[in-house]
Amino acid sequence: MSVLREKVDSINNKRLPQLEPKVITPEDVLKLAKITDTYLCDPDANIFDIDFTRFKLRDLESGAILFEIAKPLPDNIEDNVDKNTENEEIVDPNAGRFVRYQFTPQFLKLETVGATVEFTVGCKPVNNFRMIERHFFRDKLLKTFDFEFGFCIPYSRNTCEHIYEFPSLPSDLIEEMINNPFDTRSDSFYFVDNCLIMHNKADYAYNGGLST
Amino acid sequence: MGFLTVLKKMKQKEKEMRILLLGLDNAGKTTILKRFNGEPINTISPTLGFNIKTLEHNGFKLNMWDVGGQKSLRSYWRNYFECTDGLIWVVDSADKRRLEDCKAELNTLLKEERLAGATLLVFANKQDLPGALGLDELRSVLELDDIKTHHWRIISCSAVTGENLLAGMDWVVSDIAARIFTLD
Repeated sequence: MSVLREKVDSINNKRLPQLEPKVITPEDVLKLAKITDTYLCDPDANIFDIDFTRFKLRDLESGAILFEIAKPLPDNIEDNVDKNTENEEIVDPNAGRFVRYQFTPQFLKLETVGATVEFTVGCKPVNNFRMIERHFFRDKLLKTFDFEFGFCIPYSRNTCEHIYEFPSLPSDLIEEMINNPFDTRSDSFYFVDNCLIMHNKADYAYNGGLST
Repeated sequence: MGFLTVLKKMKQKEKEMRILLLGLDNAGKTTILKRFNGEPINTISPTLGFNIKTLEHNGFKLNMWDVGGQKSLRSYWRNYFECTDGLIWVVDSADKRRLEDCKAELNTLLKEERLAGATLLVFANKQDLPGALGLDELRSVLELDDIKTHHWRIISCSAVTGENLLAGMDWVVSDIAARIFTLD
């Protein structure tokens, strides 16, 4: 976001009063033809204290959990923050907005997977909560998730599992994705009342276990 | 067929259905949902919000919403009524003490305008427990035969053994399909 601001300031070549930040809508992100270069909202746009606490992937054929990551419980988080205040890395405002996944090539052969997210909501009720997730390999759109959670209860803990058939990808594309780790990327956009409040990014490698 | 058919067809493109699971706390809503989707059911804690599953079943895309049933959460149920095609009312068949409460909450839902078109399945859950009431008893205690406003059916099940979960889901889905996707 700071990059965007700098650009605007230099174009106008003079100090401007705080510009009205543009509201990013679902229509805006559905038009995007590739991964964004920057985060389209500030971390503090999340005025509803929506917090993603768990992410899990399972294979429906075998029932096996392929991947699971959970945030420590709130009191543990406080402990960590206290411990890390001297650590400069924690100052990065985008920490926690980006995740890197490393999978084996087998992952691309899965047929049916279930992807679960768990999130908590702060003291305010949330209306029209919507998630749009876009997965790209380079400039090719692989999959779009567009899901309306609707209303979320104050102080609630909620889960959502999408069970879906893996998109069938041509074998040459699969090979390219394996050979080009982290060129597969995703943007996750979260909206409340059609206004972007969170933007997370991830990238993916599928060459785990292969010698390069 | 006319205008109504056109309306009914609007959802047909995606063949999507929205199914809401409600019931008193500890009725087994989350366990049913997890069991139905092949997840382990050994560590289930009270739902303090919602659990959603989106899945394909018999060629339909189901959006299943399980909303917590604790008393403090019931006033929020109304936020999940919109566009609901099927209501699954889950009953703890062994919790005789709260059957009156259970009946009252169900009756409130059935008066709700936004659920007027929804198919109703009553899952008489926990049939594996000793002392669980049978279908006929539940049917009369809950006064189900008085329901004239909704397509309904009561099916006994056990989320723990998995008994009849599929049969119940199949009935809900086919009843909704017959009402909504008429031109198939």
